[in-house]
Amino acid sequence: MTITGEVGAWNARENTAPAVTARGLTKVYGQGDTAVHALRGVDVSFATGAFTAIMGPSGSGKSTLMHCLAGLDTVSAGQVHIGDVELTGLGDKQLTLLRRERIGFIFQAFNLLPTLTAEQNIRLPLEIAGRQADGELFDRVVETVGLRDRLGHKPTELSGGQQQRVAVARALISKPQVIFADEPTGNLDSRSGAEILSFLRTSVRELGQTIVMVTHDPVAASYAGRVVFLRDGLLVSELTEPSPQSVLDMLIKLEA
Amino acid sequence: MLRTTLAGLRAHKLRLLLTSLAIALGVGFIAGTFVLTDTIEVGFSQKFSAAADKVDVSVLPVRGESTGVARPMSGAVLEKIRAVGGVADAQGLVQGTSALIGKDGKAAGDVPTAGISIPEGSLNRTSITSGAAPKTATQAVLDENTAEARGFKIGDTVAVLDSKNARHEFTVVGLFDAGLDQQLLYSGAVGYTTETAKAMTGAKGFKEIDVLASEGVTQEAVRGSVAAALGTGYQVRTGEQYAADLARSNGADTQLLTLGLLMFGLVAMFVAALVIYNTFNILVAQRTREMALLRCIGATRGQVFGSIVLESAVVGLLSSVLGLLLGYGLGAGALAVLAGAGTSLPSTGSAALTTRTIVLGLLIGLVVTVGAALLPARSATKVAPIAALRSQVEEHTFKAGLFRVIFAALLLVVGVGATVAGVGMVPGEVALLAVAAGGSFVFLAVLVLGPVIVKPLGAFVGWLPAKLSGVPGRLAVDNSRRNPKRSATTTVALTVGVTLMTLIAVLTGTMRVTFTQQLDDQFPVDYMVQTQDRGSGLPRALAEDLRTRPELTSVVASRETSAKIGDKEYQVGAFTAGSDFRPKLDAGSIDVLKPGTAVVSDYDLKQLGVKVGDRIPVRTTEAGTVDLTIVGTFDSGESNLTGVTVPAEEFDRYFGPVDDSWVMINAKDGVSPEQARKAVDAAAQPYPTAKVASSTELRGAFDETLDMMLMIITGLLGLAVLISLLGIANTLSLSVHERTRESALLRALGLTRPQLRRMLVVEALILGLIGALVGVVLGITFGWAAGQTLAADVVFQLPVLQILAFVALSGLAGVLAAVLPARRAARASIVGSLAAG
Ligand SMILES: Nc1ncnc2c1ncn2[C@@H]1O[C@H](COP(=O)(O)OP(=O)(O)OP(=O)(O)O)[C@@H](O)[C@H]1O
Ligand SMILES: [Mg+2]
Repeated sequence: MTITGEVGAWNARENTAPAVTARGLTKVYGQGDTAVHALRGVDVSFATGAFTAIMGPSGSGKSTLMHCLAGLDTVSAGQVHIGDVELTGLGDKQLTLLRRERIGFIFQAFNLLPTLTAEQNIRLPLEIAGRQADGELFDRVVETVGLRDRLGHKPTELSGGQQQRVAVARALISKPQVIFADEPTGNLDSRSGAEILSFLRTSVRELGQTIVMVTHDPVAASYAGRVVFLRDGLLVSELTEPSPQSVLDMLIKLEA
Repeated sequence: MLRTTLAGLRAHKLRLLLTSLAIALGVGFIAGTFVLTDTIEVGFSQKFSAAADKVDVSVLPVRGESTGVARPMSGAVLEKIRAVGGVADAQGLVQGTSALIGKDGKAAGDVPTAGISIPEGSLNRTSITSGAAPKTATQAVLDENTAEARGFKIGDTVAVLDSKNARHEFTVVGLFDAGLDQQLLYSGAVGYTTETAKAMTGAKGFKEIDVLASEGVTQEAVRGSVAAALGTGYQVRTGEQYAADLARSNGADTQLLTLGLLMFGLVAMFVAALVIYNTFNILVAQRTREMALLRCIGATRGQVFGSIVLESAVVGLLSSVLGLLLGYGLGAGALAVLAGAGTSLPSTGSAALTTRTIVLGLLIGLVVTVGAALLPARSATKVAPIAALRSQVEEHTFKAGLFRVIFAALLLVVGVGATVAGVGMVPGEVALLAVAAGGSFVFLAVLVLGPVIVKPLGAFVGWLPAKLSGVPGRLAVDNSRRNPKRSATTTVALTVGVTLMTLIAVLTGTMRVTFTQQLDDQFPVDYMVQTQDRGSGLPRALAEDLRTRPELTSVVASRETSAKIGDKEYQVGAFTAGSDFRPKLDAGSIDVLKPGTAVVSDYDLKQLGVKVGDRIPVRTTEAGTVDLTIVGTFDSGESNLTGVTVPAEEFDRYFGPVDDSWVMINAKDGVSPEQARKAVDAAAQPYPTAKVASSTELRGAFDETLDMMLMIITGLLGLAVLISLLGIANTLSLSVHERTRESALLRALGLTRPQLRRMLVVEALILGLIGALVGVVLGITFGWAAGQTLAADVVFQLPVLQILAFVALSGLAGVLAAVLPARRAARASIVGSLAAG
């Protein structure tokens, strides 16, 4: 299946095929009077090898969008493609296998299994998929996030920043088509946050990794190559090559 | 605070349901026991008073002080009573044995049927259910069970042997209900007129005399005058007293049943207590933040403690009420089953729920629940207010404290010490008690040490599942070991049931093999012929006939009689030689037995105060007093030789042609068991009371009894296992709840729903297997130890298949317990779970 012809006009400047595409994405929670329209028809696409941030006021639907894109939640209407696979209509089993093969996750908190060591946590996605870790890649990822001497520790013996670094390493190790990160630095101080963000940027530049990150923080967003803005379940604007200041300005404009 | 507690309870209805069920089952069993036995007791006393209503005064002979036997009362006594003023009528009751001949021409049943008198008039307490009471010397009545089992009906002619084995024929004129007399129920009974009963049973008098008072005379007044007329040596009671006494002695039997069942109830309650303790511990751990928040906003430690205790009290009360209902149902159900199975229980219509049952049930349920929640409640008070601010609930890492290890070591030392001492003792009750106490201490040690051993055991038991089921398996092993205290308590609950089941299996297995071996020692033959009552003799012609049969070989006949040695009576006997019957002596061989000598059992040696080599004077009937030299001795418990055994030809010279008391027969090699049996049966056919037993039959009967016992006990222990399974399900569902986010994370990373389910199922399997493994080890050890205290030469037997079945079933049960929690975990939405907590 080819999707090249269906790519939205605003990302036509990217030469490669997009890693993730959403068209007319709608998500409604509940029914009747209590129905909440979290997404009202979002058209968006994320280029392969790009680092994109999703921003917007609280309740604008950022997390919902990410969950729908990652196949963690079902959509009410519209379509989502990861690479050339359409998610809508897939059963739970196929979605699970797709996540296993093609998607990596970094959450804000509770990223790691408390019973496993850092190394075991990093290798977990590969083990679940029954794949062998690429030794060279493992070393490189561990080196990049600076966890060499912490591999044998359990999560409770690691700081919050170290825990997030383990989560980053885990997301990178299986070379997924796309990594989704929901406020990965939300719980960290600015220095640890900056470290995590530069790891993410490095992985995009050096490993060609695709990353989609939800964030509240204009500084975090400025690490990305492109920022898309959500409001009331709609994609309202976007910035390329953002700086903290330009992101902040845009947010202020949107709040008004 | 009360309102917070109740709101909390309402919010967590579901997770407390399993806990409630555990308590309800325990209380239900105990309440059910009371309902059952109370109802039976009420039924007994009703039936007894109904029977006693017909009798105003009953007279029984007093048991002789030295002999312990009640001498029957003569006709003179009856006449004396009839002559007393105020006595309208008096009837004597006769009871003895009179063997009914079955349709096959052999005496019916394993023991001779009883012969009883059916008195005339209103003093007849036997209820004739159809037909009429016997009126002439050729009429008889049969009890209903016997009639049915032997295929006789009213109008048939039956043959019965009298006490001298002479055959008499009677016409069956009616059937009667044997009532509650256990002896009559067991042997079956034939009823005659009083005179015929005396003639048939050879009874020398009456075992009881019943008196009817004249119009207008009170029971008490007649009792007084009868007692005065008879003097000492008689027990004279009014009908009411008699009924009450009968009910009381029967009540003692029901009390034994109550106690036996309550033991299982207690085991169940103990397991329920473990389950409750664990549940509240987990609930407290999960609500750490809630408690801390309460403390932050000003709740005192006491209030936090009180709220947990209150919660447990509410749960305890509700589940006890549920348990009472369950118990009533169980009791009524058991009665229905017993009635349906045709047991001779009196039926009163409805099951009895007494105030005592209600109070005890509620009290036990409440006390156990609150008691088990006390420790968790105390640990809840230790939650610091600051815990409210921590984001992640910390993992409960467990370190074996020095105190715990020392305490467990002490328990272990005491337990092992007591057990070893018990095994070393002379077999008997004291030794068994020592082993039981030792077992309890070792079990306590295991309970205390549980958290320490559960980790290595988890790894051991989980090795194969982890290998087989990949990532889910490995995660399951980790999960089963992450909270050792919780896992330990969960598994120990199962261990209780499995330990007891294994113990019983080992004991019955050991008893089976030991019995078989004893049987082989004492009954080293294929067949044995004995009279039905084991007292009277078999004509020697029987053994002669058997010797002529070509299918048989080695026919050994034994005969004995009592004779005075000094001033006491001893059994003196002899056996006819047979090629493969070589009785074992403690020293030397039986060949030493020559004319003028005897071999004497160790027991009789002690009684006589002599030793091998001494001479004993035996007073014979035919040859005066003979002096015999003791040339050998044997163990009276192990041999079936007569206490004083002399050579066969000498025996005849001393005592004349005494009948044989038993004949042992071996089949010839190559003869099929059916053929040999047919030959023995044919030889025994002319002698109605001669009963043929085969060693295989004996073994079969014993096996059946053991199997039955094993089944009942295992079934009753099943309750404890069921409760512990609720515990596993409970722990698991609480853990699943606790790990909601973890499961969501795994699902996001690509674990499929079936894999997530498998993870939980394997965890439950591991918990079940740990419990079973510890239980099996304890059960085998203490089954062996208890076996050693039963008898001197016990042959230990490990019922491997049964034990493997226990282990497999425990694992399976664990898996079953995981089904619901696993389904819930797999169904949870990933997004929703990620947001939770
Ligand atoms: N399970 C749900 N049921 C009902 N409504 C929901 C559910 N999840 C989210 N919503 C609603 O959907 C809307 C979007 O929620 P979402 O979590 O995507 O916002 P967000 O942009 O991630 O906000 P934040 O920045 O606070 O994380 C909100 O109005 C929210 O209340
Ligand atoms: Mg969000």
